[in-house]
Amino acid sequence: MLPWRDGWRRIAAAPAVIAGVYLVTLLAAAPLATAMGSAMSEHLGASLAADDAADSVNYDWWQEFASQGSFLNLNSTFTPSIVGFAATLDSASSLLDRRPIVPAIALALAFYVLAWLFLQGGILDRFARARRIGAHGFFAASGVFLFRFLRLGLVAGLVYWFLFAYVHEWLFAKWYVNATRDLAVERTAFYWRLLMYGIFTALLAMTTVIFDYAKVRAVVEDRRSMVGALIAAIRFIWRHPARVVGVYLLNAILLLVVVAIWAVVAPGAGGSGASMWLGVVMSQCYIVARLIVKLQVLASETTLFQQSLAHWGYTAGPVAIRPAPPVVDSA
Amino acid sequence: MLLIAAVVFVCTDGAESAQSFDQPLPGARSPRNASYDIDVRLEPADRSLHGTERIHWRNISANPTSELQFHLYWNAWRNAESTWLRERRLGGNTTTPRTDAWGWTDIRTLRVRTGDRLDALTARVHFIAPDDGNTADQTVASVPLIRPVAPNESIDIEIEWSAKIPRPFARTGYVDDYYFFGQWFPKIGVLEDRGWNTHQFHSGTEFYSDYGVYDVRMTVPRGFIVGASGREVSVTDGADGTAIHRYHGEDIHDFAWTTSPEFLVRTRMFEHPTLPHVRMRLLLQPEHAAQEDRHFDAAAATLKNYGEWFGAYPYENITIVDPAFQSGSRGMEYPTLFTAGTRWIAPQRDIALEEVTIHEAGHQWWYGLVGSNEFEHAWMDEGINQFSEARTDEVAFGPRNYLSRRYFGGFIPWVFKDIRVQRQWDEGLAGYRAQAESDAEATPSFRYWPSTGGNITYFKTALWLHTLEHWLGWPTLQRGMSTYFERWKFRHPQPADFFQTIGEAAGRDLTPFFDQVYRGSNTFDYGVQLLTSTPAGAGRFRTTVVARRFGEAVFPVDVVTTFSDGTKKTERWDGVERRIIYRYDTNVRARSVQVDPNHVLMLDVNYTNNSRTLQSRAGEASVKWSLKWMAWLQDLLMTYAALA
Repeated sequence: MLPWRDGWRRIAAAPAVIAGVYLVTLLAAAPLATAMGSAMSEHLGASLAADDAADSVNYDWWQEFASQGSFLNLNSTFTPSIVGFAATLDSASSLLDRRPIVPAIALALAFYVLAWLFLQGGILDRFARARRIGAHGFFAASGVFLFRFLRLGLVAGLVYWFLFAYVHEWLFAKWYVNATRDLAVERTAFYWRLLMYGIFTALLAMTTVIFDYAKVRAVVEDRRSMVGALIAAIRFIWRHPARVVGVYLLNAILLLVVVAIWAVVAPGAGGSGASMWLGVVMSQCYIVARLIVKLQVLASETTLFQQSLAHWGYTAGPVAIRPAPPVVDSA
Repeated sequence: MLLIAAVVFVCTDGAESAQSFDQPLPGARSPRNASYDIDVRLEPADRSLHGTERIHWRNISANPTSELQFHLYWNAWRNAESTWLRERRLGGNTTTPRTDAWGWTDIRTLRVRTGDRLDALTARVHFIAPDDGNTADQTVASVPLIRPVAPNESIDIEIEWSAKIPRPFARTGYVDDYYFFGQWFPKIGVLEDRGWNTHQFHSGTEFYSDYGVYDVRMTVPRGFIVGASGREVSVTDGADGTAIHRYHGEDIHDFAWTTSPEFLVRTRMFEHPTLPHVRMRLLLQPEHAAQEDRHFDAAAATLKNYGEWFGAYPYENITIVDPAFQSGSRGMEYPTLFTAGTRWIAPQRDIALEEVTIHEAGHQWWYGLVGSNEFEHAWMDEGINQFSEARTDEVAFGPRNYLSRRYFGGFIPWVFKDIRVQRQWDEGLAGYRAQAESDAEATPSFRYWPSTGGNITYFKTALWLHTLEHWLGWPTLQRGMSTYFERWKFRHPQPADFFQTIGEAAGRDLTPFFDQVYRGSNTFDYGVQLLTSTPAGAGRFRTTVVARRFGEAVFPVDVVTTFSDGTKKTERWDGVERRIIYRYDTNVRARSVQVDPNHVLMLDVNYTNNSRTLQSRAGEASVKWSLKWMAWLQDLLMTYAALA
């Protein structure tokens, strides 16, 4: 509980980090959203269909627009699943069911992941030091660790590829299918499906935790070898399983709470004007909340590592030693 | 009026029955020329059926026949090169059936009795492939006769057969201890005046058969519950822990049955002031026990609305089967019995359960009672029924019909509380738009491109029927459809019979319309090209409207211009020319113009271009929806990037 609480303290002391990651999340999505808006505006033209679309839902126009051919197949992503809490269900289902992603979204995702790999060095450095490091310090750390994290990312990418290409196939296309093949009761099949999701999510979580701690150790101990950081991370988790799992579970519960609140308050299609902007504000608050959870994961893991293994002053960069003021010499 | 009727008659295809002697037998509703007496035994241990049947068959065509033809539908899953499996692959499903999935039917003996004469013809049985010449297909058997059967002459055909029950294919087969049997017995084809109409089993189309009386005795393990076409006459104990369920159905053209020890049995009576009472029997999966009322309400809504609109349901009972999960038997119609289909989690505001129940119950009219040829004219049952179902959905359950989507392998539904489903786009408009030109509806249905045929069969037909409803008015269309029902129940109508009847009801020649929607594959697309409204001096405004026909197909449409003071100018355009220009000189500026503002032409493949305004809100709408889309994208990015 202590690292988790301390993680919160570190996040609270770094509002600029929250603002920064939100800005990146906005920037990753905004260009495509702008392109989508332009395509919609062009398709609607001066049509009266825009009136219904602005005031509520014009699903006839919606389907017509979505079926239009578009650059990198972007229009096909304009489905009812973008509305309210369905978006969250759709994202999670898309990941866990291994649904294909259209090229335009894949490009945005690649940019976003790269941006995170870049920012994570600075974020972890900031959380590890638990004090202001300034924009220069933040981006310096980000730059230092970018190529190390890219190397680590390659290894992570291989593991995820194995999980999604082989383990997922084995779990859902083989085990689940064989286990439910003779089932005549949907409820039982659903429990099997839940089991598969549980196993697959646990594997994803385990992988994420290992690579998270590898990054934490790389930053905190200024490691250059990412293989070494990975091994060190596994060793750390092996020696402190209860605390690692405990912190992870607390963060998972936090995520579930955020998602549950969103499920209750998520706005529907709504109209234009004030109700539209209220919906935008609410959805962006949810995005910020999700980002804070992600930062809390990093902060609490950093704190846990520092409290368990390192000491408070044990951070990446050398402590700056200022020359003694002239008055000292004269004394 | 007589002149109009004469014109209608001349302009249609000259409707006439496919069979010369298809009038009902005295005291019966149908010709009863193909009656079956069947004994069948289910062997759960090796998943097989063993049966004997006697078909009392009468040649109701105009010509003698020197052969008999039979459907052996289950042979579609005898080998991978059957026409059914070839077409399924062509449609994109390349899954190879597992070794235990196959099914087949073997005729052990076949004899024909004519008076005192008994001909053993087993050795003469051979397979034919009248549709595609596929020698690997064994779904149609031909038996040359020793002596021809003359018109109106009757014979008895005795068949002994065995069948391996498949894993579910085409809504028949087994899963666990749930069995559904459709097209399960050797079934005689339909002899028309122009010859045998016995098509091979195709992946995209269904069936065609003559009416008769079915008396069927099904032997199943004791404790198994049975539901079947017709009504249950008796249940007696058989040998070796079995029970024999006897069902009897009159004036029906097929017989399906199901059995499982798990069914919950519920019954309820449909009562109506002017329609006959009907005993509804529901065989429900235990996990759907809470959805009992929804099944009955949907079935009752069908009996009421179809009964009031088209004609009364004439049988005394109807059986609703709630199929087991993964049984593949969801949503299928058989005489006096149909399968519905629901999910474990089925929100009230998602009426998928009601839709499938109404659709399949509705087939009692369009397929069961009006026995059109589903191989060749699938639109006559599926399309007409799709339209009828949509009207019933709207009338009975419209207020709680919301859009929904399913996630996590389809297990978790989500209802969009602010997107109400409406008829104009619920009727598969999006699917039809994408495939509008794939096939002309007049093409025999079994020759449609497998993956797109459904959009033509179901949705194009429903859309042109909705168009007719808006164009002619519901009372006229309803009168036409009820006349068609009354005229063709217990018979086999042709497309021209439907067109002729609707034309008669409309009192006008609808041939040009049917030429386009039925005989052609052109698309309808009307739109506004231009709207200007400029000062013309002295406080006057000159308004110019240009409407265009972008598609090849032609339909009369209204062009309505609205002015800033709320006044409207309505023009009736015959839609024939490629464009039309209207000019107005008014003392107020125009605000907007709409082509077909009441959405009469529901086949229009691009409705967004049907209007134009001088005060566009496209900016507002696009900002709103692109911001929502952006939030979805942010959510997606964060979810995936959680792994980074």
